[in-house]
Amino acid sequence: MEKITVTGGKGGVGKSTIAVLLANKFISSSKKVILCDLDVECPNDHLLLGQKIEKPKTLVYSYFPKLNKNKCQKCGLCVKTCYNHTIFQTPGEYPIFLRNLCSSCGACWVVCPYEAVEKEKEKIGEIFLNKISDNFWLVTGLTKPGVDKTGLVVTDFVVGEAKKFANDFAKKMNCDLILFDTMPGTHCPVISGILDSDLVYAVTEPTPMGVHDLGLILDLCQKLKVPAKVVLNQADLGDKKETQKIAQKFKTNIEMEIPYSKEIVKAYSEGQLERVNIL
Amino acid sequence: MKMVVASGKGGVGKSMLASSLAILFAKDGKKIIACDADVDAPNLAVWLGGVSDWDKSKKITTLEKPVIDKQKCIGCGKCVQNCQFNALRIENKKAKLNYFFCEGCGVCQIVCPQKAIKLVPVKNAQILIKNKTKHGFPLISAQLFPGESGSGKIVAEVKKEAEKFQYDTMIIDSAPGTGCPVNAAMLDANFAVLVTEPTPSGISDLYRVLEVVNHFKIPYQIVINKWDINRSLSKKIEKEFEGKLLSKISYDQKIFKAISTLTPLMKTNLKAKREITKIYLRLVSIFKQTLLRREEK
Repeated sequence: MEKITVTGGKGGVGKSTIAVLLANKFISSSKKVILCDLDVECPNDHLLLGQKIEKPKTLVYSYFPKLNKNKCQKCGLCVKTCYNHTIFQTPGEYPIFLRNLCSSCGACWVVCPYEAVEKEKEKIGEIFLNKISDNFWLVTGLTKPGVDKTGLVVTDFVVGEAKKFANDFAKKMNCDLILFDTMPGTHCPVISGILDSDLVYAVTEPTPMGVHDLGLILDLCQKLKVPAKVVLNQADLGDKKETQKIAQKFKTNIEMEIPYSKEIVKAYSEGQLERVNIL
Repeated sequence: MKMVVASGKGGVGKSMLASSLAILFAKDGKKIIACDADVDAPNLAVWLGGVSDWDKSKKITTLEKPVIDKQKCIGCGKCVQNCQFNALRIENKKAKLNYFFCEGCGVCQIVCPQKAIKLVPVKNAQILIKNKTKHGFPLISAQLFPGESGSGKIVAEVKKEAEKFQYDTMIIDSAPGTGCPVNAAMLDANFAVLVTEPTPSGISDLYRVLEVVNHFKIPYQIVINKWDINRSLSKKIEKEFEGKLLSKISYDQKIFKAISTLTPLMKTNLKAKREITKIYLRLVSIFKQTLLRREEK
């Protein structure tokens, strides 16, 4: 089974569009395909495919600290240990845990000598499964921040679980290919999306911003040792020379050029992108 | 006052708007400081016409990562069991770190009975400072090194650098999404301008970022960019957010052409320039009203 990740650094360059178009291409050559939306903060693939994500297939949980005041000796060790600085204490008082910046690493309950920091299980995300056709499924990860209860920095966990779900489901259904669609940027959730893929398609546009961010993502792929190829979207809107230069710098090439297309824009906004076969 | 420009969805026009507003405020004599809080993929400098010679660039450390002493490690697996990020495994009877999964929390160092693990600071980003751009105001930017983590804390560092300057308004250009870098950008903001576009994705992501804005209880207004690519969806947003709609910007391929030659939108004669000027004037009047209300209280 092959794993391909579609990413791009810059936002709004057409990652999700290209991911769906790639899926369409592979399906039309009678491959069994799973598209996995790893933009768990703002997933959109289902909207492009006219799907609703309503009933989650599985839930993602994490643990957060909760203070047991009967056991706490106010020693302040948890405060000193928290690398995110989300625990506060005024001298002589009980520590206060700020959940919204907690990454649920567990250092506080591990370090507490009195077992006063207890774990509380909270739902942090949901995973959805949509069947698009007989050989095409969509897996969507979604962080579910009832933001006051759980942390806001739990994106990575949900990406990991969505990936795992897609991998397991692909094996069960004997799929030929999983296409992962990541968030913009280059930080942790993007790295998790790229790791252990066979190939990355780095989507960009012919603007100075597109070129700049392409350099970052190609650099990242090189560091993660995953081969990358460039997809130039809206190729006719600008000069592709700079894009080519960056691609060459990282010893790769522009694999696909997709011109600006009213057909794609229309299908995109109407949620019917599964009907467009242009790659 | 701190104004953050955000959006759930990427590529909807945050940096275009943030750069243009900064130029307009500055032209009016306001002391502006521009912050690029999209440290993953910073583009504000490009939208401001490019900055080639930064006055200051410094590598910074916002996280530590574990180094394992193989002589001391006995392969007991305590670190593996306690790591919430699956960043450790036992290989050849020794603990081995997957650097890219590690968040630097330090649990492994705490639980190791052999004291074989030590956290070491990592240089994970670069802060870039331009004291005076050609538009007259300072710009603080940063770049997370590809493969490193910790964007949220880097955003906090960018804002800390900005605080060293005197300013009336800090304009913060946020990353897309709703995660740590976005939270760090919004943390102490007084006002948010949320950019969206009339597509199903644009609307869905607007609702997502609103969860964060409302969590921090930040007053906000919405701008619909490329409103004319789907007039009916645009109307839907306008109706849904009545009273919260700042204004609309039209789609124009010429903006692409302008920025390809590093010409800031405000130096062109495009329609979008006039539309953003209107947005600026409305913002000024909103800020005035808020100030008046505060004084009355």
